[in-house]
Amino acid sequence: MAIDGLIILDPAGRPIIQSSYSCYPTAYPMLHIEALNNALEKALRGGSVDPVIYVAEFSCSSACCHVEVGGMRFLATISGDADPLIAFAFLDTFIEILHDYFGTVSLATLKDNFDIVYQLLEETLDSSGHPLTTSQNALSDIVLPPTLISKLLASVSPSAPGVPSGRQGGSFGLTGASGAFASPIPWRKAGVRHNHNEILFDVVEDMRAIVGKNGMTLVSNVFGKIESNSKLSGTPDLTLTFTNPSVMTDCAFHPCVRLQRWTRDNSLSFVPPEGRFILADYQYKPPQGAVISNVPIPLSLKANVDMGEFGGTFTLTLTSRSMKVMENVELELYLGEDAISAQCTLSSAGSGVGSVGSADGSWTFDSRKKMLRWEILNMRSSGSWILRGSWTSKIKAPRPAHAFQIRFEIPSFSFSSLKVDQLRLSGETYKMYKGVRMRSKGSLEWRW
Amino acid sequence: MSTQQGQDAKFFQRGKIEEFRAELQAAEAKDKKYQKRKTVLKKIVANITMGNDMSPLFHDIIQCIGTPLLEVKKMVYLFLVSYGRSKPDQIHLVIPSFLQDCNDRNPLIRALAIRTMSYIPIPVVTESLSDQLRHCLKDRDPYVRKTAAICVAKVYTADPRKAERKGFVELLRDMLIDDNATVVANAVAALSEIGDRQDGVIFKLNLTIANRLLAALGESSEWGQIYILDSLLRYVPEHHSDAEMMAERVIVQLQHANSAVVLTSIKALLYLMNYMENRRLIDYICRKMGPPLVTLLSSGPEVQYVALRNILLIIQRRPTVLKNDVKAFFCKYNDPIYVKLAKLEIMYRLAREENAREVLAELEEYASEVDVDFVRKAVRSIGRLAIKVEPAADKCIESLLKLIETKVTYVVQEAVIVTKDIFRRYPGKYEGIIPTLCENLDALDEPEAKAAMVWILGQFADRIENVDELLDDLVYNFLDEPAEVQLALLTAVVKLFIYKAQAEVTKALVHKVLKWATEDIDNPDLRDRGFMYWRMLAMNPSVAAEIVLAEKPAITTDSDRMDRGALDQLLLHTGTLGSIYHKNPETFIRNAAGRELVDSPALNANSRAVLVSLTRPQLPSTAISVQGPGPIEPTRPSPQPDEVANKTPQPILVESTRSDERDLLDVDGDDGAGGDSGDGYPDGDDDVAVVKAADPYAELGGAFGGYMTDAPQPVKGGGSRSGDLDDLLF
Repeated sequence: MAIDGLIILDPAGRPIIQSSYSCYPTAYPMLHIEALNNALEKALRGGSVDPVIYVAEFSCSSACCHVEVGGMRFLATISGDADPLIAFAFLDTFIEILHDYFGTVSLATLKDNFDIVYQLLEETLDSSGHPLTTSQNALSDIVLPPTLISKLLASVSPSAPGVPSGRQGGSFGLTGASGAFASPIPWRKAGVRHNHNEILFDVVEDMRAIVGKNGMTLVSNVFGKIESNSKLSGTPDLTLTFTNPSVMTDCAFHPCVRLQRWTRDNSLSFVPPEGRFILADYQYKPPQGAVISNVPIPLSLKANVDMGEFGGTFTLTLTSRSMKVMENVELELYLGEDAISAQCTLSSAGSGVGSVGSADGSWTFDSRKKMLRWEILNMRSSGSWILRGSWTSKIKAPRPAHAFQIRFEIPSFSFSSLKVDQLRLSGETYKMYKGVRMRSKGSLEWRW
Repeated sequence: MSTQQGQDAKFFQRGKIEEFRAELQAAEAKDKKYQKRKTVLKKIVANITMGNDMSPLFHDIIQCIGTPLLEVKKMVYLFLVSYGRSKPDQIHLVIPSFLQDCNDRNPLIRALAIRTMSYIPIPVVTESLSDQLRHCLKDRDPYVRKTAAICVAKVYTADPRKAERKGFVELLRDMLIDDNATVVANAVAALSEIGDRQDGVIFKLNLTIANRLLAALGESSEWGQIYILDSLLRYVPEHHSDAEMMAERVIVQLQHANSAVVLTSIKALLYLMNYMENRRLIDYICRKMGPPLVTLLSSGPEVQYVALRNILLIIQRRPTVLKNDVKAFFCKYNDPIYVKLAKLEIMYRLAREENAREVLAELEEYASEVDVDFVRKAVRSIGRLAIKVEPAADKCIESLLKLIETKVTYVVQEAVIVTKDIFRRYPGKYEGIIPTLCENLDALDEPEAKAAMVWILGQFADRIENVDELLDDLVYNFLDEPAEVQLALLTAVVKLFIYKAQAEVTKALVHKVLKWATEDIDNPDLRDRGFMYWRMLAMNPSVAAEIVLAEKPAITTDSDRMDRGALDQLLLHTGTLGSIYHKNPETFIRNAAGRELVDSPALNANSRAVLVSLTRPQLPSTAISVQGPGPIEPTRPSPQPDEVANKTPQPILVESTRSDERDLLDVDGDDGAGGDSGDGYPDGDDDVAVVKAADPYAELGGAFGGYMTDAPQPVKGGGSRSGDLDDLLF
């Protein structure tokens, strides 16, 4: 059950920051870094290195779990009977914390704030590998975020070291940790005050689907997420109810949600953390009785691809089946390792007073990734778009991918038509502003 | 590095020890609010980060420890964590400051002090830590208590017996009923760490404590929940009802957002199910576990990978989980290859008559993809599907023939390899396709495919008209072929001779090959086999015919599942490295504690029957050599207690029934795998079966690739495992 430590590598594979590894030989972290770099080097495609690499040199047998963020690699080494999933969950959490602290996670921000990253490492990961405090609320009391003000004060006048104390009143002695840990609720600190109380919910639904050659949907799943942003004073106890909670299945909740309550009456009862958090994940299952359990796909593609020698031609027709406007529709096709170039023409057809022009769509061919990309920024309901073109290849029998990757977004729409009934507040007396927004997106694999 | 923009990037310039020393000294005077010291220390810490040795500054830096600014203090402590252990002669200078900080009014500082001290395993430090730690374990501030709990584990590591004498283990145990959930969770974590040590005290939970821990779940952080859920495996239910009640409380956690919590909950449930009696409830739990596992597949590829490797194990033990979810494992073009391969494996496992059509359609799709490795595995899976699901065999053969028509070399080769197994699985049914295979003889350039084709030619020499020409062509390069192909050629030519003893061509051919094998070849296997055939043919050709063309046992994939007892044990490690590599951690990770299912009145009879007791193998002190991406078992066979060897009648039976056939098979040497490629690939008709009986983990070998283990095996004597789904419920 132990993560030995965490190492952050720059894009060239050199370590920038690592946890102390005080219980290990000095060569230990280097061995893992080398193992990872070797594996990366061997892999032709960047993404195809096993995410868990077993390291058995040096009489220690351990493994490194790694993820890529902003060109850098975050690497957690684990040994003993450790759980790689804990390592990945921890890496995700740590990266999320860095996002919260610095806004973006890049080589520059990490180097600028290395002392904070260090402190964060110390607080979040114990040297014997136990994740410690990872809740943003508690952390911000122990490790101060580099707010604009503290940076300004620190650089302008050295006479203001008390910035840390700004909110707590006296950085030393009196308060400190007690603020974070005395709170009876681990994810929420005590004594939060806002002049304007509001809580916003963003329901985001993501469709993942595979469509077969014959145009039949093989698999389609809709994964939903309720993203929340809470700015509420005191200890607000909220109850969120839905008019159709049955559309949510296989739910996973933020620890603040009272699970028993959901099991009993399908309402979400919780004391929210401060700031952004994901209240719930769910999967949308179409109502019982539907013949096919698949969620209908809001667009359709007709693809005619003719393979010839040294290339091929294609005619792709993309039709919207959605009642709403779809945005940022993007279609990609990998044309094969040996593709050289592509040439296309665009046209659009269908109902309404559509104007044919560049505003309707554009195509590009990425000669490095060998990827043909077709983008339509705005796709009105039931319109059709056509892309005709051809490509050339170095080899006689070209081998393009047999699947189009299609992505789309539909604002103010949800596949599940999940509807919030009401949000009740108890425990506090103030009035709060409430908001709910729906948004959907999807990524499809369309085979031909 | 220095070109980085940003105000702190300048700290990363390489500094000189002397300069830092001077700057530190300068900072002592007129240091308004300690800003100067802070700046210097920041530079020094940056240098530690870059791997520059800053230890010569030890003496200068400990002067700053009294600085009443938390940020400065933290950096000094960071320095001490890095270099404290390397200065055993000077560390005593810091101890007074440590002691002072341990009693600071600020809980953050108290915690920081004991934590840092616990990182420095030098006797003077540990000595003074003892008393402080005892106070801190009872500190009024939960942050200090939870930090202290973890420190105990470190103190224990430094000197287990001493920590026990000082009563730290008892103090930790008392913390299990602390009213702060984080403290409870950390106490559990520390006790687990201690309990996992081979020299540690045994950490077991009784019903009361287990229930209290479950009650603390709701308020714990996700990490705390993981510790608590994992510790439930240290509780051995005495009554079915205890296990059932506990499982009901754990099920709720399947709704957690953290993937590690979900998988740990599943581990706990899988464990508790061993102690249950209520079939309905077990079935219910199995159904409840499916959806969260599928949900894990919507995470990033890394989490997917870990989840998939675990799913592969879980569905072998509990086939009802995910029984109807094969679609969730359909591969996407953009999935990373490691995810695709893992999914492919699971699709094959979940394939049944009801879904074989869908699965086959998918496999055909994958066979047309671009990635060579993936295409190969897909083609091979089509063959395995044919062998596993009889009603789908016709369709699979059709699809293999279509693939052979593509003339893509590697596709043809894979198809030939699996076709050979299909012939053995369904004797007399599909031989009609042999001519099609023969047309593609020239495309075969890989040993395995070539050997498979040669086997087909030899086995069906009586039905192929121009077989003597084909074989004659093939033996042309006999001396340059790899041993695998040579062995196959030798046997095939002998078979041909037995079928067509009259033809002059055949006589010449067999003579030529036997002569090569016995005179020009250095490989002893080949030479011996050559001599053996030669003598048999010389002494009594009709007996030779009986032996060489003896009926082969049909093969099946029924047995490709892991041994039940081994699975039960491996599932105790769900989510861990062991479950990724499908091996028990203690066999490839130093100091990893093994886990075993403990017998109790509540343990269901089927689990008890296959109980594998834990052998604590003493790992060789040298590094274990590892081939490929995953670990392999230590080569030295670990001593197996008798009960293990006797535990399952089935493997023993295998050994005895097989031993009758062995002579025949070896003489026949039909697939050429009997030679130095002793890990016999598809037939597995060599010593593998014998090893299996002795070592319950033998079947796990190579499980990382996840491929070898599933190669079709000859039907094992006696045990037909057809009623799988029911049998495995308990």
